[in-house]
Amino acid sequence: MIWKSIKVGFHRLGSPPTFYRFCLLLSPWLWAGFAICTIIGLYYAFYVVPPDYQQSDTVRILYIHVPAAWQAMAGYVVMAILAMIALVWRIRTTEIMAMMCAPIGAAFTLICLATGSIWGRPMWGTWWEWDARLTSMLVLLFIYLGIMGLYAAFEDRRKGARVACILVLVGLVNIPIIHFSVEWWTTLHQGKTIRIFGESSMHYSMMPPLIWMTIAVKLMFGAALLDRSRNELLSQDRRKGWVAKKLLGKGVK
Amino acid sequence: MSAMLALLLRDLRLAIRHGGESLMPLVFLFAVIILVPLGVGPGPNLLAAIAPGMIWVAALLASLLALENLFRPDHEDGTLEQWWLGHLPVTGLVISRLLSHWLVTGVPVILFAPLAAQMLYLPPQSLSVLMISLLIGTPILSLIGGLAAALTLGTNRGSVLLPILVFPLVVPVLIFATGAVAAAADDLPVRANLGLMLALLVLAITLVPLAATAALRLNIE
Amino acid sequence: MIPELEYASFVWSSYGIFAVVVAWQILQPVLYRRRLMAELREEQALQSGEYDDPNP
Repeated sequence: MIWKSIKVGFHRLGSPPTFYRFCLLLSPWLWAGFAICTIIGLYYAFYVVPPDYQQSDTVRILYIHVPAAWQAMAGYVVMAILAMIALVWRIRTTEIMAMMCAPIGAAFTLICLATGSIWGRPMWGTWWEWDARLTSMLVLLFIYLGIMGLYAAFEDRRKGARVACILVLVGLVNIPIIHFSVEWWTTLHQGKTIRIFGESSMHYSMMPPLIWMTIAVKLMFGAALLDRSRNELLSQDRRKGWVAKKLLGKGVK
Repeated sequence: MSAMLALLLRDLRLAIRHGGESLMPLVFLFAVIILVPLGVGPGPNLLAAIAPGMIWVAALLASLLALENLFRPDHEDGTLEQWWLGHLPVTGLVISRLLSHWLVTGVPVILFAPLAAQMLYLPPQSLSVLMISLLIGTPILSLIGGLAAALTLGTNRGSVLLPILVFPLVVPVLIFATGAVAAAADDLPVRANLGLMLALLVLAITLVPLAATAALRLNIE
Repeated sequence: MIPELEYASFVWSSYGIFAVVVAWQILQPVLYRRRLMAELREEQALQSGEYDDPNP
């Protein structure tokens, strides 16, 4: 019974007006959750966690750097799942959501690269290191940009979305290979990889801000995704009846 | 099979008759090989060190040259739609088109790579590894490039998008290939690198034609 | 109130970048939506003949 109603509800999300309302309702809650988690996370990050004995206060950069990096990768997985659903079942709302993941994922990749570079300056003594993780993040950024560019290049948005979905899946196969190859390459070129910060050696007192910020960033991804998808849907359906009804009805909201 | 062969032969005949255009990859390769010493200086040590990378980057860029017209003319005159109307498997036709791209852009680069390697003072013991890496790697470049061409077929600015789409996907090929050549120069084992390249080639051969066919199909809808 | 940090400029500029990107993720949809709504209202007015032409 419950399962059935969930299933029906899920199917209804394929209908543009329902999806539109769903985004409208859910997105403020996600933004609110993001705000709360960020405030808690920042409080921990700045007032509770002591400075690291080696990295001193620069360790606080990692509380946004690491969640951003995780989200940049998790965002790609979300996008790939949506793209798969879009290609197999041809659901238009999923196509739109998959495409709207790309700019947000690119934004997180950018945060990750920028903060990583800022962290690297005092710690490694250089803004840019051809380190495996940095390089594969840079390549990931280009993949995101390629997907956005491909989608934007089509006159017919639906066609663009489907073609770009294929690229998303191709990228999904390639990203692990790229990551592996880049790791291989850095170990070939330079034996030393400075790793002051390793997951295993992390002290438990550093966990709370990391966890809160990670949740915050995930909620933000969802909120921004819903906002963007709603706009894109409206823009694509501007000549359709339900949009006109919405506009004529209870005013423009 | 005979249809695939027929398409391949037609593409090759066209390439030969368009002589000048088909020589572009080679011209490009040598433009890079001549310009690099002019840019970084003629010192043999420096040139030898960057030779594998330069030859590989040149091969990569050369393979991008002909991509724009891989499917576009056929799309514009409607031939591509005929591919779906006939009873032939479209994937087969796509494979033969990609093969012809490799024969026209990849093979000349492989043939002239020894000359380019001499001009950049590549250590003689790495030449054979360079050749093998090109032999395995250039088909991957053609496959990935062909996929990018299929994806961008329906857009007006494919030429801008192509490099952005191709570059992230060929990173592993470039890394393993130049890694192998550099290892050979230091008399280190190269099997792992070349084996990984072969694995990439097998993966690309199995997946790319399917993905490219799907992309073409969406583009002509 | 504001914690005294070592390497303060590095830490704050990182958080600054984060804040800017987050702000953009909030603002972009809002701005785009405004533009879209204006366009849609205009189209609707054109269709229903209520378009108030600024340059008649």
